[in-house]
Amino acid sequence: MICRPLFKATIRKNRSLFILFLSVLTLYMTIMIAMYDPHDMEAITAMLDLFPEQMMSAMGFSSMITDVNSYLASWLYGLLMLGFPLVYCVLLGNRLVVKMVDDSSFAYLLSSPNSRSTIILTQGLYAMISIAVLFAALFGLGVLACSVAFPGLLDVQGFFMLNVTTMLVNMVVMMICFFFSCLFNDTGRATALGAGIPIAFLLMNILGGVTAEAKVLKDLSIYGWYDPISVASGNTEARVNLWYLAVALLLFAASILVFRRKRLPL
Amino acid sequence: MIKVNAMSLTYPSGKGVHALDFSVARGEVMGYLGPNGAGKTTTIRALLGFMLPDSGSCTIGGLDCQKQAPEIQRTLGYIPGEITFIDGMKGDEFLSFMLEMRGLSDQRLQKQLLERFELDPRGSIRKFSKGMKQKLAIVTSCMHDPDVLILDEPTSGLDPLMQNRFIELIKDWKQRGKTILMSSHSFEEVERTCDQVLIIRDGMIISKTDIQTLKDTRRRGYLLSCDDAAAAEKLLRHAGFEVSSVDDTIIEVFITGDRMDQFIKTAARCTVRDLEMKQQSLEHVFMQFYDKEYDDHDL
Repeated sequence: MICRPLFKATIRKNRSLFILFLSVLTLYMTIMIAMYDPHDMEAITAMLDLFPEQMMSAMGFSSMITDVNSYLASWLYGLLMLGFPLVYCVLLGNRLVVKMVDDSSFAYLLSSPNSRSTIILTQGLYAMISIAVLFAALFGLGVLACSVAFPGLLDVQGFFMLNVTTMLVNMVVMMICFFFSCLFNDTGRATALGAGIPIAFLLMNILGGVTAEAKVLKDLSIYGWYDPISVASGNTEARVNLWYLAVALLLFAASILVFRRKRLPL
Repeated sequence: MIKVNAMSLTYPSGKGVHALDFSVARGEVMGYLGPNGAGKTTTIRALLGFMLPDSGSCTIGGLDCQKQAPEIQRTLGYIPGEITFIDGMKGDEFLSFMLEMRGLSDQRLQKQLLERFELDPRGSIRKFSKGMKQKLAIVTSCMHDPDVLILDEPTSGLDPLMQNRFIELIKDWKQRGKTILMSSHSFEEVERTCDQVLIIRDGMIISKTDIQTLKDTRRRGYLLSCDDAAAAEKLLRHAGFEVSSVDDTIIEVFITGDRMDQFIKTAARCTVRDLEMKQQSLEHVFMQFYDKEYDDHDL
């Protein structure tokens, strides 16, 4: 049971934030695809060899790239498609709940005949759907750009699964931010944890790629549960996808539960 | 209609309300007075279901304020003490949004209220003046024709003309049988609208009185200038008034509500040059009332 007028208002209010991030990611994707040269991958590989190997693997860039799928998986989905959406999740998570509690405009939502659960469910659903729409749009865009620039080179199936897994890990990040947004009454603490934990995961994922000894960091990070290049090459990580989905839904349910019970200083 | 039973709600700082007990009958207008930090807003938070009390309970129309908040909200109108509208909305957008949130579409009452308060809701709320925001909050609280109104300092920010309009509105609602709980720290506002007054201090209700008693208790200071101030002082003192001398020509007389007539008639026997009501700060008035209460009940 969701609250339709609130859902509509939430879309209107957060539209520009969504468009901003979609535009930035579109820009990056287009540039990345334009830079791909199927006949000259040796040149890119040679360029990569100029950099220290550890640094490259930390960034998730592999020198094994030959096809466009692994190229996108490594250059785009290895870091950019995690880092930028992370910022989006933090900003959106704040705007959906804690900002309105902090400035007490949330009182107006609750002075309507809608329960707290309905309101949080509606806001959280917007968060999840906006991530889904973001990656659906990016997937469509990638397919389109590749079919224009390099017809027949992209393995659409593999690219689709790469987008699914990246979307799911970002949903987990979204729900981490959303949970802290529901848990706290002030924006400061909600941001500290909502942004801090995903950033820590991202750093752990980067550092974990540097050496074999540090790999444990990568395993502990939610970003390290899959290898983008392998997924893009057609090895679907069904179990990892399910895990992400489960964690995201668990956090969503927890958000509703904590918000239902807490005291609101409105 | 509104019932609060032995309700306690304490913040981590130790502040809050303690064992609060009161009720507001259907069709009654109850004033809720107290200095800042006394617990007025805390009581209202519990009634709106924003905070669960530590112990005790509160109900509106027989429904539990926490468990059945959505049902209560159907017939409840609320003006928050600190009004913040939803960020980025225009005034008219906000009004339509709040109607939709209630599942309503009838805008007639909303239009009437906008006319009554001469408010043009178009334009971004962020650019509204304090008074316009207050008017928007008033319209929002009443546009669904609620049975119960909970108003937290509803006239702050309004100019005197609009304060009067608001008081007329409350009188209209009262005639139509609405139940109203109105917190305020303005005696004038409460005096002109309420039947009963609750007075709270340090989280405890220290008095529930009808408005007449409050008026009678209220002690006003008048500055009286006479040709012969000394004689006037003696005369008034003899008639049982509390008098103090300000300077050679001016004396200050303290009068409670029911003795006004006697004061005028007594003072008429002197040559009066000027009579002026002394402006009293709210704290002053509260202090007087509290002192009286302390004497009466030996609290």
